[in-house]
Amino acid sequence: MSIEQIRQAMVAAMFALLALPGLCNEKAEPDPARSQYWPPIRQMMFGERPIEDGRDVLRIYLNTRADDASTVPVAVKAQIDQSDGRYIKTVFLIVERNPSPAAGVFHFTPDSGRVQVETRLRFEDFSFVRAVAELNDGKLYEATRWVKAAGGCSAPGGKFRIPENMIGQMKFKFWDDTVEAAKPALVQLMIRHPNESALAADFDPTRTPRFVRSVKVSYAGKTVLTADVDFSLSDNPSFRFFFVPGQQGELEAVVEDTHDKVYVHRATIVEGVPLPGG
Amino acid sequence: MGFNNQRIALAALLLALAGGLAQAQGFSLREVAPGNFVHVGSLEERSPANGGDQANVGFIVGSRCVAVIDVGGSLPVGQSLRAALRRVTDKPVCYVILTHMHPDHVFGAEAFRAEGAEVVSHGNLPAALAQRLRTYLGALRRDLGDLADGAGIAPVTIAVDVDQERVLDLGERRLRLRAWPVAHTDNDLTVLDEATGTLWLGDLLFVDHTPVVDGSITGFLKVMDALAAIPARAFVPGHGWTATAWPAALAPQRDYLAMVVRDTRAALRARRTMEEAVDTVGASAAPNWTNFDAFHRRNVTAAYAELEWE
Ligand SMILES: [Zn+2]
Repeated sequence: MSIEQIRQAMVAAMFALLALPGLCNEKAEPDPARSQYWPPIRQMMFGERPIEDGRDVLRIYLNTRADDASTVPVAVKAQIDQSDGRYIKTVFLIVERNPSPAAGVFHFTPDSGRVQVETRLRFEDFSFVRAVAELNDGKLYEATRWVKAAGGCSAPGGKFRIPENMIGQMKFKFWDDTVEAAKPALVQLMIRHPNESALAADFDPTRTPRFVRSVKVSYAGKTVLTADVDFSLSDNPSFRFFFVPGQQGELEAVVEDTHDKVYVHRATIVEGVPLPGG
Repeated sequence: MGFNNQRIALAALLLALAGGLAQAQGFSLREVAPGNFVHVGSLEERSPANGGDQANVGFIVGSRCVAVIDVGGSLPVGQSLRAALRRVTDKPVCYVILTHMHPDHVFGAEAFRAEGAEVVSHGNLPAALAQRLRTYLGALRRDLGDLADGAGIAPVTIAVDVDQERVLDLGERRLRLRAWPVAHTDNDLTVLDEATGTLWLGDLLFVDHTPVVDGSITGFLKVMDALAAIPARAFVPGHGWTATAWPAALAPQRDYLAMVVRDTRAALRARRTMEEAVDTVGASAAPNWTNFDAFHRRNVTAAYAELEWE
């Protein structure tokens, strides 16, 4: 099921759930197994398939008390190595209580190097965040974290309007001065984009909200990261992940939004040569 | 305390004793310059105990009519302000001026609806507030319960475009309004009463309360430089109060914002992640400000998201 299908189905299903009391008043962390929000989402996305405790497969890192509900950094890190025999094929990142709960679906291959994705999420309410990993054998594993959005659930949008001519600007930011061939290197992809929420109070339902729908990153023609994403990501979406450089190659990001605009950004990476902006 | 203030305090006391408007209890006004009346809000976080009375609000009285500047964070606060205003003057309210979109400044609007006043804001306010309205009202209900009843917004009838000025005449008193580029928010508006040189800043100035960045931290600093050049004789911050003169009163906020910018840039240069920056930047400033835990880490998050593009 594509993230788009999930979104459409869920937005309908969520209307029933929106009638449930908000969680903003919860003082203590509720029991994730008893969440009223999870069963319909789980059913929609995974049907009756069993989901096992994922603590040995992947972990979620984020602050339980989020500082800014519009920009909550989250990291999902694999606890297993990618190998041809056993690898993480897909990571589903879910903000249970958001109106469109499937925030991102990230696809990986045995060549992905280290499976690790960091991004920034919006929260409509206090919520569980769930990361479900699907392995190549079809088994599902789940990690869960409870998040309280500090200062209330009060930050639906960007801080100000991004001028049209800036939308789609991108930047790669590296965490090392140079790369070494075959050694995984961390890079952050930054995208200037309003990532409009369809659920902002003033949203005109006859218009398609403009948000980033897919991100594809490749190095030297080989896929590094493919993600279907959503307006549960913060404005100016950011992704930090590993890629495995060779002696020389081009790192390329292709980003598509829901208004069918396609943005491309490239950087040439050469072993031992200072990285651009790095 | 001037005669007016004494009279107002007494009136408020009598009202409270009469068991009337509970929200009038302690709703004090001070006349900071002739014809400029300010109610200083609570520095505590919003709760049923303070009823959403966070922002500094007030009004300016001309010979013909009155301009209200911000209407408070709930209908009861707006009603208290209107009751206080009516104890000072019976002139009609011709303008309700909103300094920016934040709930603590705008949600008491319903209290002034019957006045039929023009509602004046920065040109960006209607869209910015509309986008956030659902979540703002939800959070208000969560924090205030029944006291959130009647909270809402008034349709803006006069919008001032960014970088533009607009003069409103209250009769022998001209107010010079200015719409600023993105700073505290993307819809900050200041009011200068020309007769007394009183500058109403909205949340372009926080005193004691941790400054909040919901726009652009670098923009905020630039706008503060421009504000410092205004030769105001009196001023009204959005939160808190001080005896320090203008423009020296800008210094603590400028120092705080400049420190957050400097230290966040240093964290970016040191390739710290957003989480690491939020954990390390500026925590030593905590003793200088109230509500630091609620807002400082949020400010660093916003600063990081802005400055990482440099
Ligand atoms: Zn404000």
